[in-house]
Amino acid sequence: MIDLLVSLLNLALLASAVRLTVPILLTAMGAVYSERGGVVNIGLEGIMIVGTFFGAATTHLVAQAFLSADPAAVPVIAPLVGMLAAAAAGMLFSLVHAVVAVTFRVDQIISGVALNLLAVGLARFLNILFFGVATQSPGIQGFAPLAIPGLRKIPALAPLATGISPVIPAALVLVILGQWVLVRTVFGLRLRAVGEHPAAADTLGISVTRMRYAGVLISGALAGLAGGYLSIEQGRGYLEGMTQGRGFIALAAMIFGNWWPLGALGASALFGYFDALSLRVVHTGVPYQFITVLPHVASILVLAGFVRRAMPPAADGIPYSKEEV
Amino acid sequence: MSPRVRLTVLQMLAPLLAIGFGALVASGIILAIGKNPLDVYGLMLRFSLTRADSVAAIFFKATPLIFAGLAVALSFRANLWNIGVEGQYYVGAFAAAWVGFAIRGLPSGVHLPLAVLAALAGGVTWALLPIALKLRRGAHEVITTIMMNYIASALVLYLLADVFRDPAQAGTPRVRTPEFAPNARVPLLRPALEAVGIGIPEHSALNWFLPLGVVLCLVAAFLLARSRFGLEVRAVAGNPTAAETAAISIGRVQFMMFLASGAVAGLVGLSDVLGFFGYFDIDFPKGLGFLGISVALLARNNPVGILVAALLFAFLDRGAQGVQVFADVPREVITILQAVIILAIVVAYELVTRYVRTQRKREAERVILAPVAAAAGEGGA
Repeated sequence: MIDLLVSLLNLALLASAVRLTVPILLTAMGAVYSERGGVVNIGLEGIMIVGTFFGAATTHLVAQAFLSADPAAVPVIAPLVGMLAAAAAGMLFSLVHAVVAVTFRVDQIISGVALNLLAVGLARFLNILFFGVATQSPGIQGFAPLAIPGLRKIPALAPLATGISPVIPAALVLVILGQWVLVRTVFGLRLRAVGEHPAAADTLGISVTRMRYAGVLISGALAGLAGGYLSIEQGRGYLEGMTQGRGFIALAAMIFGNWWPLGALGASALFGYFDALSLRVVHTGVPYQFITVLPHVASILVLAGFVRRAMPPAADGIPYSKEEV
Repeated sequence: MSPRVRLTVLQMLAPLLAIGFGALVASGIILAIGKNPLDVYGLMLRFSLTRADSVAAIFFKATPLIFAGLAVALSFRANLWNIGVEGQYYVGAFAAAWVGFAIRGLPSGVHLPLAVLAALAGGVTWALLPIALKLRRGAHEVITTIMMNYIASALVLYLLADVFRDPAQAGTPRVRTPEFAPNARVPLLRPALEAVGIGIPEHSALNWFLPLGVVLCLVAAFLLARSRFGLEVRAVAGNPTAAETAAISIGRVQFMMFLASGAVAGLVGLSDVLGFFGYFDIDFPKGLGFLGISVALLARNNPVGILVAALLFAFLDRGAQGVQVFADVPREVITILQAVIILAIVVAYELVTRYVRTQRKREAERVILAPVAAAAGEGGA
């Protein structure tokens, strides 16, 4: 029993939990923007897949271009351009969802599902085009890792204090920024107004369509970024299916976090922990297949409200049209 | 053209336009990889439609898609999103497989129906939790069913690798169940087809699940259109408030439809597992549940339309094999084509629906306002 507790709290596991929180967190934040504006985005999983491919492919190509010219710059420039490409690709891909679900007012769930189908085919096709095989890219180098200056000297804390991806602190900054944007800025208030009561917002001269596009595009950029993190920082290359449903888990994290960036942080940390646990063979006698589904089981429990009752934005998921109010 | 004729033409035209749009996008991709789209489409048509083995393969591939499309459509018809057909058919197919290999010595008339019952039960079991959580706790079924898909995949993997792995395969890389008792396997269609003068290739695994799927779609179409329960389903989907006023229990209708969806989902993998493989393998076909969503969307949840949509998707799938082998075009181009068709079709249907609504409104205004206008005209004269 003590052994089990020790193995559940060891630092290597916690460090892995922190690393695995990031992709769920970034995507959950994206979902917050989209749903605060009133658009459900089931397509986040597909957007993440697009991000994993473009992140890895761009990093690989940039690294090759720089290798002869300036090898020292590779671990900075290549992953940075890769992350930006992943975000841009995610944003562009989410534009499909915006056009279909906001402009044409097609059911948002249908549009999201179609987006996921498209992403799988697209990633396989592009990977064949670039690398000759359907399922994986060549290995790549991520960012040079950081260490916390004061703590790295203490050997016991080494797993947590060293080898930190710079994306992790960046993600935390994005959370705080997101919370501030949604609570304090004009843009945030308008976005939320459009998600709560689009007709009222419309009357006040806020363009519902424009705000909803903004919400969806931001969610695409963040989910793309999450995909880029997965392939550049976690996987050191693109592998088909590497998102493993994290886009959907992020939706559960968003709900558990009550549609706020700070809430999404807490919820994502929980899912990140389960994710880390599922990747580790804990010697409990439980077959590993059951351990791998821990994040998915946790998502169901959270959705069933065994933890807290959900309070979504009032107009979440409902297409808005001026003439049909 | 009368409004009614115009409407029918529009509704028929929408899928064709969507397929055309999809083909256009795919053409761009084919051009980008330096091939001629017309050559590729020509090859696809020739390969899929002029070879006897291709035609048989299309009907064989369409069989699971019919069940998958119907399963998805049954839930969509009740305003529910069963994205969990994927997991439900995996559990159903494994349950049927278990009956197939674990029991020996039953006559064919008992063993096969028993395997089918196990598949139904497997699908229903896997659908039970999401719908219960939806109705009791308000948990959105889209995410819970997706999560159940992952859990199903892990469960089947565990049962396959750790519990029921064929001992005869130990030491080989093959992870699969023992072979089924011959009486659990479904008879092939070839003898019956040859009896009526239709010849099909000898190795075709086309089996009796195809006619079963067709009959199931027709029965579903009839029940939804003509039965009392079908009327309730249409009321719940069309106008929940009115349905409630008419003392229809929305929860009961949704519960029944979701379980029906799960039951049909349980049958998706049977044509493959009982008709082709004869054992359950770790590489058992995946993704049929998601293709079912596409089929249902294309068919607009119409059970008869599902037959056509399933054949179209099976044709595209077969064609994809052809272009990959003979034109060196990655089959993923066809996967992209399928997804674009779906996006285009939902937009097209939405536009038609909106057009119909404004037309009806205009018509209603004319009928209501005509006497008024006439009266006003008389008054002025």
